[in-house]
Amino acid sequence: MRKFKRGLLAVGLLAGVAFSGVAHAQDNEPIKFGLLQDFTAVYTFVSGEYNQGQQDYLTLINEEGGVDGHMVEAIVRDTGNEPQRGIEAYNRAREEGAILVDFLSTPVSRALVDRVLSDEIVMITALHGRGDASAGETFPYIFPMMATYWSQATVLAQYIKDNEGGLEGKKIALVHIDSPFGREPVPVLEDLAEKEGFELSTFPYPSPGNEQSAVWSEVRRFRPDHVMIWGAGGGQPVSVREAIRNGIPADQIYSVVWLAETDVENVGADVMTGVKRFEAVSTGTDNPILERIQETVIDADLGAGEADNVGTTYYNIGVATMAVAVEAARLALETEGAPLTGPKLKAGFEMIKDFNAERLMPPVTITAADHQGGGAGRVSQWNGEAWEPVGEWGAAYQDVVQMEIDAGAKAFAEGN
Amino acid sequence: MAYFLELVINGALTGLMYSLAALGFVLIYKSAGVPNLAQGAIVMLAGYVVWLIASFGIPVYLAIVLGAVVMFGFGLLTERILLRRMVGQPIIMIVMLTLGLEIFLRGFGPGMLGAAPKSLDLGIGLAPIIIGDIFINRAYLVGGTVAVLLIGASLLFFRTRLGTKLRAVSDDHVSSWAVGISVERAIGISWGLAGIAAVAAGTLWGSVQGVDWTLSTLLFPAVAVVILGGIDSIWGVLVGGLLVGILGSVIPGYLDSIVGGGTRDVVTSLIILLTMMIRPYGIFGREDIERI
Repeated sequence: MRKFKRGLLAVGLLAGVAFSGVAHAQDNEPIKFGLLQDFTAVYTFVSGEYNQGQQDYLTLINEEGGVDGHMVEAIVRDTGNEPQRGIEAYNRAREEGAILVDFLSTPVSRALVDRVLSDEIVMITALHGRGDASAGETFPYIFPMMATYWSQATVLAQYIKDNEGGLEGKKIALVHIDSPFGREPVPVLEDLAEKEGFELSTFPYPSPGNEQSAVWSEVRRFRPDHVMIWGAGGGQPVSVREAIRNGIPADQIYSVVWLAETDVENVGADVMTGVKRFEAVSTGTDNPILERIQETVIDADLGAGEADNVGTTYYNIGVATMAVAVEAARLALETEGAPLTGPKLKAGFEMIKDFNAERLMPPVTITAADHQGGGAGRVSQWNGEAWEPVGEWGAAYQDVVQMEIDAGAKAFAEGN
Repeated sequence: MAYFLELVINGALTGLMYSLAALGFVLIYKSAGVPNLAQGAIVMLAGYVVWLIASFGIPVYLAIVLGAVVMFGFGLLTERILLRRMVGQPIIMIVMLTLGLEIFLRGFGPGMLGAAPKSLDLGIGLAPIIIGDIFINRAYLVGGTVAVLLIGASLLFFRTRLGTKLRAVSDDHVSSWAVGISVERAIGISWGLAGIAAVAAGTLWGSVQGVDWTLSTLLFPAVAVVILGGIDSIWGVLVGGLLVGILGSVIPGYLDSIVGGGTRDVVTSLIILLTMMIRPYGIFGREDIERI
């Protein structure tokens, strides 16, 4: 009997040690984010710098002690912008414990909408994917978390209204790549044209946009007061060049968010001077987070890429996406406790309030209903040396944007 | 009328620039009888090579010359390492090989040298040449002129001793072997020349749009050019390029605003389909009649 009691005690002690070990392990379990992006096909113009910014920010967080003691682990894989490879990468990342995925690819993220909703995995779709995913009640696990293309169009229109003598009676040309992304702002701009009394004409060019001369001859005949260019990658410098060649003043060219330093280099810094663009995140290194990355990550040789990329447009966007995601994880751990899961992280995202990543981005407030986070941004202008903000952070015409979000979300809900 | 003429002129110049990509395709087909589906990716690689050489501070026009040497060597090596092993294999296997090469190069170039578009400044002014109400794109004018010169040089080359050997090889490999012509060497040279044509295409298109993977998409209009002009005809490259360019400019110029865009790729596709249905050998292509 005495032997039995001793045995029982030993088993109890062992179990206690084991359980405390499990609890300890759970307490410090790493948080895994799947950065499953297109490094070899269509999004190559952005994915290198964007992903580098994401990884460098996560390294900074880890070097500073993690999120409440939890390290953040990035699972990085190439999808080649192919939905099939994206699904495969997603399955593997999920098996490895990822609770958040970022595809930075509209075709891949669209293909995985139903999967992440049923698997309860958070998918962030900053500056890509479907705009109607802003409707949090219909898309509970999808977070655009920055201004959608609809909101970008309205911010640009608001800027023209406030700074270029109003919109009424003006002629605006939208020159866009002939794809769902390129056509995305059309309904919102049509609504605004009716509301504000300007004339809108759209000019699509075929993908990938390396030849646009015929389109711009037509644009010139339209005699627009302002031109919005809506493309990405190699098509963007071609658009700027053709616009200027056809006599459109550089300061009347407004671009979607995808216009960056590489495009300036291609067009020529002097030729680009005056061109404006939508800006979702500050550019440059004059920011506490970027300074800490430089000091803790880059100078310590822990960076994920070339040091010259730190502070570029797409690098900073990558940093901002992870800053929001880490903030969501911090809030989730604070209120829900470890270990983090998809539903807990979702709840963390929906608790984010007025978060601006130490002035890196406009204040973002995400709620259960609004996963866009307010739709704010600003306009910046190339001044010959850098992108200089020419407006304040803010959102515009969100009533018009909301109509599009509601219509898209309703159609999705009816289709499911 | 000015609008129509502007579409015609800029379309013709654009088409001639497509011809540069198509020229390499025809040079290889003429000697080896292989439809080279990697030609778009070779154009992209050539753009990267010129950019890489220029990035060492070498003047861009010297970089183009050095790039031509490198790409000629690349063409020779491709033939020696890949194509020669395929002698005697069914043509479909060789076509699949070129497709594999295309996929490899499209990943290799951006993978090794960075995916962001690279700037290639040839110093061509941005201001258009204005004649009345017609704006002519200066970069395309330079590109079109280079295309005409290279096509002319190719026509002259096929009248030289070496060119005559290549023509003989294109006519009949076995007979060429029988009279002592090194067929392998001739095919290697044609791959090398295709590499040089790719340098012209990659540099000129790269200066317009930046050097990145999208240069490889020039394969599609290049294929339309060679199918329309004739897959084994240098003259066909010139005429096919002009027609593809003009039709791809004028028709979308009038139709896009009515149908909401996207007609240029439709025009290019229709050119391919209609040519295959009506005149499978193209305008200047040689119709082979075989005894069965």
